[in-house]
Amino acid sequence: MSQNDVALMAHLMRRAGFGTTRTELEAYVEKGYENVVDDLVHPERGTPIDEDILERYFGSEGGYVGTWIYRMLNSRCPLQEKMALFWHHVFATGLSKNQHILASTNQIDMLRRVGMGKIGDILLELSKDPAMIFWLDNNENRKGEPNENYGRELLELFSLGVGNYTEDDIKNCALAFTGWTFGQPIPLYPHGYYAPPFLFVEEEHDDGEKTFLGRTGNLNGDDIIDIIAEQPACARFISRHLYNFFVADEPQVPSWNVTPPQDPEAIETLADAFMASDGDISRVLGILFNADFFKEARFKKVKSPTELVTGILKLVGTFQSGPEPGMNQYGSATQLMGQKLLDPPTVEGWHTGKEWIDGGLLTARVNFAVREVSDASKPGIQDIMTRLKHNGNPLSPEAFVESCLEFAGPLVVGDTTRQYLTEFAEANGEIDFRDDAVAEENQTLLVSMLQLIVASREYQLG
Amino acid sequence: MGRPYGLLRAGFPFHKTLSMRRTTNFPIDIAIGKEGRIYIMCRSDGTAMIRKYTVEDEDRGTMGGYGQGEGQFTWPVTIISDSEENLYVSDEYLHRIVAFNSEGEHIGTWGEHGTDPGQLNGPAGIAFDPDENLYVVDSLSHRVQKFTKDGKFLLGWGGYGDGEGEFNMPWGVAVDELGDVYVVDWRNDRVQKFNAEGEFLFAFGKSGSGNGEFNRPAGIDVDQHGDVYIADRGNDRIQLFNAEGRYVQKFLGDATLSKVSQAYMMTNASPNRMRDMADLEPQKYLRQPKSVAVSDEGLMFVPDFGSYRVQVYQNMAVPLTEQEFSPPRRSVTLHQE
Repeated sequence: MSQNDVALMAHLMRRAGFGTTRTELEAYVEKGYENVVDDLVHPERGTPIDEDILERYFGSEGGYVGTWIYRMLNSRCPLQEKMALFWHHVFATGLSKNQHILASTNQIDMLRRVGMGKIGDILLELSKDPAMIFWLDNNENRKGEPNENYGRELLELFSLGVGNYTEDDIKNCALAFTGWTFGQPIPLYPHGYYAPPFLFVEEEHDDGEKTFLGRTGNLNGDDIIDIIAEQPACARFISRHLYNFFVADEPQVPSWNVTPPQDPEAIETLADAFMASDGDISRVLGILFNADFFKEARFKKVKSPTELVTGILKLVGTFQSGPEPGMNQYGSATQLMGQKLLDPPTVEGWHTGKEWIDGGLLTARVNFAVREVSDASKPGIQDIMTRLKHNGNPLSPEAFVESCLEFAGPLVVGDTTRQYLTEFAEANGEIDFRDDAVAEENQTLLVSMLQLIVASREYQLG
Repeated sequence: MGRPYGLLRAGFPFHKTLSMRRTTNFPIDIAIGKEGRIYIMCRSDGTAMIRKYTVEDEDRGTMGGYGQGEGQFTWPVTIISDSEENLYVSDEYLHRIVAFNSEGEHIGTWGEHGTDPGQLNGPAGIAFDPDENLYVVDSLSHRVQKFTKDGKFLLGWGGYGDGEGEFNMPWGVAVDELGDVYVVDWRNDRVQKFNAEGEFLFAFGKSGSGNGEFNRPAGIDVDQHGDVYIADRGNDRIQLFNAEGRYVQKFLGDATLSKVSQAYMMTNASPNRMRDMADLEPQKYLRQPKSVAVSDEGLMFVPDFGSYRVQVYQNMAVPLTEQEFSPPRRSVTLHQE
């Protein structure tokens, strides 16, 4: 098992999933990179998460965000969960406006269910999603009094991007979605949330002739989505989103019409796969993860708060043996770092890349990471202790640093960081992890070293 | 009172709805006290408490609280009341039993985490036998154990599996007036009946959504006639069986707005309008009930877990004597006698 194979697999699983334990990582390496990619893009092959256990110990009473993070950590189909997060970024729908947690969580469940399918199916489900309908006012989009909010954002932010449609296309797109609304749910009080159903109100639908992207007829919402899905602009736009999320940070979406992609060839490769497969997202992802531009993109992205939190929890082994009390605290943690799941700040979603980090947010990230690795009893820390015991003891300071970087990632650090880590290790000289008489001291040293590593600049990158 | 020879099941109508969101969020179980007092166990992530309540829909405050300290719970599952109205709560995270008196004073905690006889590993259902010994479903060890009220181990049985007397993460337990023990075998979607020594008698139920079938059943209770009530959580219903395990009927929910809910709604114009625009059919149904409790007066209390309320039904069954109830028949008949 070469170090490069391990590093490459860790890269894949950070991006296509939420990280791995070391044991999982080694099992993936054994399976082979291309085989793992093939499994990832076929989530139906994976063992579903144990819904019974989740429901029994952390069901609806547990809180959705905690449950979602549990799914991210334990899913045997991690890409499916990552794609739900991806689409949540793209189809940003804010709980702060709709204030209906069940509608919002149903949307995430929908994204998980259809998010690796064809773009036409995804956009159709999205257009019928009550949380989205309310978020972008399509419940007020009626024949004779259209509301263009959803029609505009569907084209601008969800499928084509600015510059690939006209104002008339927006107007006609909106008319095609008139009457697409939802049934009034029973209100929260006094007996809880009820799911709103999608509703097509025929008398509120505009049956007139419409022209959209050069096509004329009595177009409805389904027709609009069919037309969008055929557009090369849609292929490029979604491909750039996928590149931004999975490969390397792009500028923020609103500037995409004036700032070309950093790797136009990569976008073209993905867009070609998109067009050739009728917008099959799984096919595009398969091409992406096997491409050199992906494999060479290690540590070129700033981890989102969700990725940072889940990566740390994977490292220390939280929730390995099932749900635990307090899972919702991790939703609060991502919120403190600037990513409140279910509640993106605007329809543009979160600004990503370097905008994830400022002085305050960095402090929140580092504090969280350091706190989580401080508990030496966690199974992930104990696993590293065990591995260090069998790692050519006694370990020189340099070897101790190298081993910890390997087991915490593998993480590649710059000379400055390595120098600091080595200076810390040198203060304690050689360490023999086989010596049970000093096991507690060694454990403390390991925790301190891991704290320094997860607090490093490099650990912010995924 | 002994078990009747037979029952005239005159009806089991819906009686009333109690409580609402905020007062009883996620009610996981209920204990029946004296003089109309009930104790509703609520559980969610970071919150746990007993809501002291009455059958007249009156809030009497809370008992206990979330945490790991004395008199606190982290993952409470079952609450039961003894003859003195002391309350016992199982905590499947802290692996212990916590006791309060009816005033909410903490009067004891016992339980040691482990898998040896007498140790607890995810205690879920608890129930008193006629002598007020306590049966505890030790879910993660797939077994049932019997203790004195203050935690002295008496006996135990079970083990992982799907054979007779084996369990897969059992949940609820109930003891009838004869001392027989019913155990809800959660992941095997069945109920097993044992005598007081743990000898297997019979089992009923299988996976499914038809009458008499289960989808991850949870809590259970037995009434004074020997009828058995099971919270069929995954099928959003309560099922009623007789003492031989024969399916009798199901309850899907018939909730109305409780008294406190109506008072609340009278001061909330906007939700009233929204209700007027909505399809109200779903509001009556049970959502993920995890337990059920029946009183000596024939009231069936169903903590409606997903709807933050308690639905109450009134059993109208009338006991029959031997003269009023013909002997058992082996075969069905079309004769109208």
